[in-house]
Amino acid sequence: MRSFDLRASYGGFELQAAARWESPCAALFGASGAGKSTVLEAIAGLRPGVRGSVELDGTRVDRLPAHRRCIGWVPQDSALFPHKSVRENLLFGDHGRGATGEASVRERRFDEVVETLELEPLLERSAADLSGGERQRVAIGRALLPAPRLLLLDEPLASLDRPLRARLVPYLRDIPERMGIPVFLVSHDPLEVSALAQEVFVIEAGRIVTSGAPASVFASAASWGGLRTLGAENRFEVRVLERAGGTLRIETAGGLALSMVRVEGFPEPERVAVRAEDVLIAERDPGVVSARNVFGADVVRIEPLGEQLLVHLEAAGEPWCVKITPQAAKALGVEPGKRLVLLVKAHQILPVR
Amino acid sequence: MSVAEVIDVVLLSLRVGLVSTLLILVPGVAVGYLLARGHFRGKTVLRVLVTLPMVLPPVAVGLLLLVLFSQRFAVGSFLGNVFGGTVLFTWWAAVIASAVMSFPLLVLGAESGFRGVPRRLEQVAATLGAAPGRVFLEVSLPLARRGILHGAAFAFVRGLGEYGATALVAGDAPGRTRTLALAIFERIESFQDRDALVLSAIAIALALVTVGAAELFFGGRER
Repeated sequence: MRSFDLRASYGGFELQAAARWESPCAALFGASGAGKSTVLEAIAGLRPGVRGSVELDGTRVDRLPAHRRCIGWVPQDSALFPHKSVRENLLFGDHGRGATGEASVRERRFDEVVETLELEPLLERSAADLSGGERQRVAIGRALLPAPRLLLLDEPLASLDRPLRARLVPYLRDIPERMGIPVFLVSHDPLEVSALAQEVFVIEAGRIVTSGAPASVFASAASWGGLRTLGAENRFEVRVLERAGGTLRIETAGGLALSMVRVEGFPEPERVAVRAEDVLIAERDPGVVSARNVFGADVVRIEPLGEQLLVHLEAAGEPWCVKITPQAAKALGVEPGKRLVLLVKAHQILPVR
Repeated sequence: MSVAEVIDVVLLSLRVGLVSTLLILVPGVAVGYLLARGHFRGKTVLRVLVTLPMVLPPVAVGLLLLVLFSQRFAVGSFLGNVFGGTVLFTWWAAVIASAVMSFPLLVLGAESGFRGVPRRLEQVAATLGAAPGRVFLEVSLPLARRGILHGAAFAFVRGLGEYGATALVAGDAPGRTRTLALAIFERIESFQDRDALVLSAIAIALALVTVGAAELFFGGRER
């Protein structure tokens, strides 16, 4: 059983987050600025200003300094020691608590981590010369080697390319069982959370608003309008042009007119969000369709995202992200510079609080 | 002025500069680290005190040292017992004057070096089980080394050229305490402008080489 109950107040931001979980891998899900990383750093003992308790298997660790908590932490930027080689980075924690294990066990763990994370060719290279994905793999390996009591991962797959993500997901998922190390990760990507965690806590403006199994939390109808907009990639400032029954005609700052369903509690939305997977792409204008919003957009770039692709486009001078499968991308011939048509249902434009 | 005399002056200056820099290296790095990373009351006071020698007239600093190291004060009498006589008017006095005057440069260099070390790295080291001492020695110090060495090079050059405070506490004894700056002044007073110019050229060359090397190897971006 692991738990935290954290409180802090700084710069107008109030953190008041408590959670308790037993699953081997749990996740904290929320938008940027919701307080995810603050919670993670407080658990690791790196936020002296955050009050409250952190408990691991019945032991309070919140009064211990970071170096005595036995909590591994992989920050988003990897934070490798640039003056050390990859091998030296990996072995840094071995001087500390890891040194208590038997040499043969430690060597076996080192070999296993190096093999699984495909670090062998990198071992003698300087950490300063690695690519983003390589850095992240080394950082995960470095945090695992001292066999921490809890491993904290801050957006662990964000900087990895798609093939490596695909290989790394099963490995990260197996860490608790294979190495006996429970994992707590933060992410703003529902796919990542669903792939790795058995339990998810949703944090919004410093408070845990809901929790449960990822599948039920992400699909929860009750969270519509709140939760669904949290991880939404497309966000726009808008003004209302006209109201017609249950529909609103709105306009983005770039001048793109859209239709959305009027939501109770949001008579005059100032901001709206659209999830990347809720946008359809067509090769050309499909004619009469049920989607109320059909507009042209130019492909800017394509980014791998887990098993899917995130296509970045520009419409009316504003950026849009659309999540599609590689097969769909191939069929559409998606490539930078190509003009495509986006379709968004009025229901899928969500007002943001 | 003979070549041997010039060599004497240059060697003594280099010795004074080097020893004074070595003397302040550890305290300078420690104070630089405190200023960069410490959260304590009196930090501003410490910063003001440390930078004071940079803005005070060197002669005033020399006068303070003269009083402090005289046998009437504890420091002077303690050192007197250790050295078996006063340190004033020995080359050690020149070392002390140079050390005090160049201390701020080393501290500022070290402080900027430590400020350039991302906190993230120190935090990660802690989560890997490294106690604060090990974090400092294995992460902060190596990553701040460029700033520290840059500051040390400037402190060395400042020590080489120290005049005001050195003249007061070390005097101007040829062969014993006459450093480059003192020799240049003495030559000017003796209307030996040519000698003064030669010595000045040497001082400029030494400063150029040291500062140039410092900029080349330790200046610019911290990694």
